[in-house]
Amino acid sequence: MGKRLLTSLICLALIFGIIPCAAAADETNPLLIAQGIIDWKKADIGISAGDDLLCGKFSELAGSTAGDWYPVGLSRLGKADNYAEYLAVLKDRVEKRYRQSGKLSAVKATEWHRLTLAVLAAGGDPTSFGTDENGQPINLIADGTYDRGKTTSLGRQGINGWIWALITLDTKRYEIPENAYNTRDDIIDKILSSQLPDGGWALGGGVSDPDMTAMALQALAPYVGADAKVQKAADDALLCLSALQLPTGDYESWGTRNVESTDQVIIALCCLGIDPMRDARFIKNGNTLLSGVLRYRRPDGGFVHSYDYDENNPASLPDMSNSMAGEQTLLAMAALWRLQNGMRTLYDFRLENEKSDAEVVFSDADIKAVNSLPEKLTTKQYVTVTALLDKLERSADFAEKDECRRKLAAAKEQIAKIQAEIDDINAQIREKLYPFESISIRDKKTVDLIVSRYNALDDDDRVKIERWEDVIKTKTQVDGLLRALIIGIVLGTVAFLLFVLLVFRIYRKRRRKAKETERFFSQFADED
Amino acid sequence: MKKDILAVFGIVLIIALLISGTHIQSADEYYLTHIDDITPESETVTLSIRCDTVLQNYENLDPALKSAEFVPPDGVILPPTEYVLREGDTVFDILERAVRYNKIQMEFQGAKESPFGSVYIQGIHYLYEFSCGSLSGWTYRVDGEFPHYGCSLYKLSDGQNIEWIYTCALGQDVGAGWMGEDEK
Repeated sequence: MGKRLLTSLICLALIFGIIPCAAAADETNPLLIAQGIIDWKKADIGISAGDDLLCGKFSELAGSTAGDWYPVGLSRLGKADNYAEYLAVLKDRVEKRYRQSGKLSAVKATEWHRLTLAVLAAGGDPTSFGTDENGQPINLIADGTYDRGKTTSLGRQGINGWIWALITLDTKRYEIPENAYNTRDDIIDKILSSQLPDGGWALGGGVSDPDMTAMALQALAPYVGADAKVQKAADDALLCLSALQLPTGDYESWGTRNVESTDQVIIALCCLGIDPMRDARFIKNGNTLLSGVLRYRRPDGGFVHSYDYDENNPASLPDMSNSMAGEQTLLAMAALWRLQNGMRTLYDFRLENEKSDAEVVFSDADIKAVNSLPEKLTTKQYVTVTALLDKLERSADFAEKDECRRKLAAAKEQIAKIQAEIDDINAQIREKLYPFESISIRDKKTVDLIVSRYNALDDDDRVKIERWEDVIKTKTQVDGLLRALIIGIVLGTVAFLLFVLLVFRIYRKRRRKAKETERFFSQFADED
Repeated sequence: MKKDILAVFGIVLIIALLISGTHIQSADEYYLTHIDDITPESETVTLSIRCDTVLQNYENLDPALKSAEFVPPDGVILPPTEYVLREGDTVFDILERAVRYNKIQMEFQGAKESPFGSVYIQGIHYLYEFSCGSLSGWTYRVDGEFPHYGCSLYKLSDGQNIEWIYTCALGQDVGAGWMGEDEK
């Protein structure tokens, strides 16, 4: 009897367990998963859910690895956001970096590649993105792909450089000019020639890595079918990836089971037009790649990097969502969504993304924003000012345009000056205040100048001064030394005065004695 | 007579004071300016910076860096040096203190700008990631172990030994087994 009850309870549980299937269907909707990541990211950096992700705090990250992938994910999911602001900051940063030696990077071509994707995602033109110091338009495609070799080999950083160069070149199927340093075939050959015997790729060594293999496939995807060699390479790579997949649907890379490797495989399959939800090679024990990815999902909508708990690794707590896990899953969901809706692949930015050149209007709110800029600016207003100025330059004419332009240009200059001041103070501290043992009273002027320049900064700018505690330490030391010197001089002077007094008193005493003796003798002389 | 004795006494006292030093500090000031002094009670860690692998792979080195100015002939950029451990110090804090105190060039990506939430060391002593081949860069070891994560996340404790090592093979040439083959 008891047993039967138990059995029927289990049956009931099974039935009820099956009922939420309707909800489970939503669980696999890439758009909803992506929205969860976006909501988590906003909460994580303190942006309210109704606001754009690409604003202020986030746009500060434009041009960095921590920032650029999110706009790519958002844009490829067709999400509306403040791309114009992100693009404006990105352009300003690129222009600045182009004025340094090595431009975006002395060795990493992938800086150009990531930036190109972010520019395209935000609606910009990577072949003419801002101007260099000679006033020439900056061409991220030429400098980062086919002409990169004129400065440094694309392969300087390894196979990554070739793979991402090809992905970048094919975002809009850019044409390579006759006199270019590298051709498409050069790049494809480089990728093919570094394929390992088991069909995979690796950053180094002979063991295939799922991430590198998946990225190589993403790059080669446009050529599969058209080129037999590439076709064979892709088939081998797919077999390799299928073999590497774990029974739980996910992957392991560098000894750690993680979500990002699985994301990259999803992107690779979508680039090849293979449905990851249906291809038998990528379903293990009924677990698809997507179920592999969802193992890493957190109740807050974000994703963890890994569940392999490493008690020493504070970067990848199994119970805390992680930025890199979030951004790569966002990209994977974009890839999957695009495949399911028959759109171009994740890194194929042709046509669909072609934006009509609608007239930009500098709104009353924008004018108000210009007029409400405070008198004394800080580097905190950098994003706002840069975005407004960029929008103004692209906007149709309006009455106060010149006035606004003048104000914004002045504001931008003022902020640039503050930034230069911050950089210079940091350099001065680094150069002049170390090592501490050699600090002497002669450094007082330098230290005091640094302190007074620091005090002149706004609170928001002061936080950008590095190792301020070392300056305080040095200032205390120098002031202490000066005080010691003053005490020394005062005491020395007192000692000297006492000495003079003493000598004077002895001298006077002697004189008095001598006079008395004289008087004494003269008395005798008078009596004579 | 009495006044003279007083004056002599005064002078002797002042000279004694001057000899013993006039650098008088409050307790706070003393603590602040001696925070990095090593005393028998202080907790310390040791840090060294080496680039021996560059010497072994000299042919792969960026030609602009082929000079003893950037690559010391013995591979030692900073010999093992002891630093006082302050409350909450990470490997990055000690490294930054060491390069500042010794005026060694360093460039890094801040924790906020990097996707893994830690500071990433791009270059030390003008040797950067990829300066010596496509698998080269800086890695660190604490008490002989290679941590799996960024240096600004590693909290140190008393007596630990930190080594910053340049690798030309993703750590395999310096004994970091976790990065690849020997584990599998």
